[in-house]
Amino acid sequence: MQYKDYYKILGVERGATQGEIKKAYRLLARKYHPDVSKESDAEERFKEVAEAYEVLKDPKKRAAYDQLGSWQPGEEFRPPPDWEKHFRHFEFDLGEGRADFSDFFSDLFGMGRRSAEGGTPFGARGQDIEAAVEVTLEEACRGKQAEFDFSVLEFDSGGAARRRPRSVRVRIPKGVVDGERLRVPGKGGKGRGGAADGDLYLYVRFRPHSLFRSVGHDLYLELPVAPWEAALGATIAIPTLQDGARVKLPPGSRSGQRLRLSGKGLPRRGGGAGDLYCVIQIVTPEALTDRERSLLQELARVSAFNPRRHWKGP
Amino acid sequence: MRRREPETPVVHPDEEDLLTLRELAELSGLEQALIQELTEAGFLTPAPGRARVFPAPSLTIARRAYRLQVDFDLDESGVVLALTLLQRIETLEARLRELECRLGQ
Repeated sequence: MQYKDYYKILGVERGATQGEIKKAYRLLARKYHPDVSKESDAEERFKEVAEAYEVLKDPKKRAAYDQLGSWQPGEEFRPPPDWEKHFRHFEFDLGEGRADFSDFFSDLFGMGRRSAEGGTPFGARGQDIEAAVEVTLEEACRGKQAEFDFSVLEFDSGGAARRRPRSVRVRIPKGVVDGERLRVPGKGGKGRGGAADGDLYLYVRFRPHSLFRSVGHDLYLELPVAPWEAALGATIAIPTLQDGARVKLPPGSRSGQRLRLSGKGLPRRGGGAGDLYCVIQIVTPEALTDRERSLLQELARVSAFNPRRHWKGP
Repeated sequence: MRRREPETPVVHPDEEDLLTLRELAELSGLEQALIQELTEAGFLTPAPGRARVFPAPSLTIARRAYRLQVDFDLDESGVVLALTLLQRIETLEARLRELECRLGQ
């Protein structure tokens, strides 16, 4: 088991006051709390921070932790043999909320529950687990099998907490959208004392696609067109997530206009699909041939078109 | 030991049953009083025609409220404020993404 330096995690000195510890925790919580943070590793970081605070905020637990002495973070660590004898009267809020703590934590403090009251452990619902699942747009169309490895906090017959690895295979159905939450019933931690098992919650995140963006079940595709295609109209073959399609660009199209292809977006659960919007972007050639240049120069000469007609003045 | 388990189908919360106020409180960890406050503030909506029964997706919101309350040590009005601001940010971000898509950025 690896030693965790809770002071270092919170960024405070070993002699920090309770006030300093609270302040450091609040600062880090605002930065890394998964509900408010945009950091990519927010969930992992917050778990560490919450665990460190759980120990250091309580003078008794902190004193017990301090008794372990100073180790290097990550150093291989065993609790002293008489640890359990001295420190088994802690009450920890392990069953609810932030229960996904490290081996280091549960080995040191998880045993605190055992026989503290001399009775059988009370019933408590199993731990809920939250996990993110990355889904490509193609997978959102056909569904996907995903596997999750995580560890859950479980309690043995004596009430001691242990982390157990768990592996769950899940079928993500077609029709999910970015940001959706799915529940996998009963696949979290085991309940105690006859209480229900926890659930696994999956948070669906779409992997960015090179061509399409999604808003709900609708897809957006940038449609680059030549100036003459925009002016004259054209029929253009476009990629879709299924097998491609053709769109009719009307004469006189403008940049930013959207062409809607009904039902070519992402499939919905229970049938139907969102729409595909092609957003017109007029692009010009990077290099012109002599012939192209002279044709365009001629067009410039003969055309009365003034794109800035709506401006006042010269 | 790693347990290998058969493939499990997921549940879409909106296809599930209803939860009573008590069940919602137990499953989320929230006090019933705060659930009622969140209901008055419009974050939780009881099932049509039933004041103390909630559709199951309410649990996602209630658990988020619980995490905010516990992890930031918030009082009831703090929880409501945090949820209000988070919801506004999410609405604005969704709008921003939609506009970026329209602009083809």
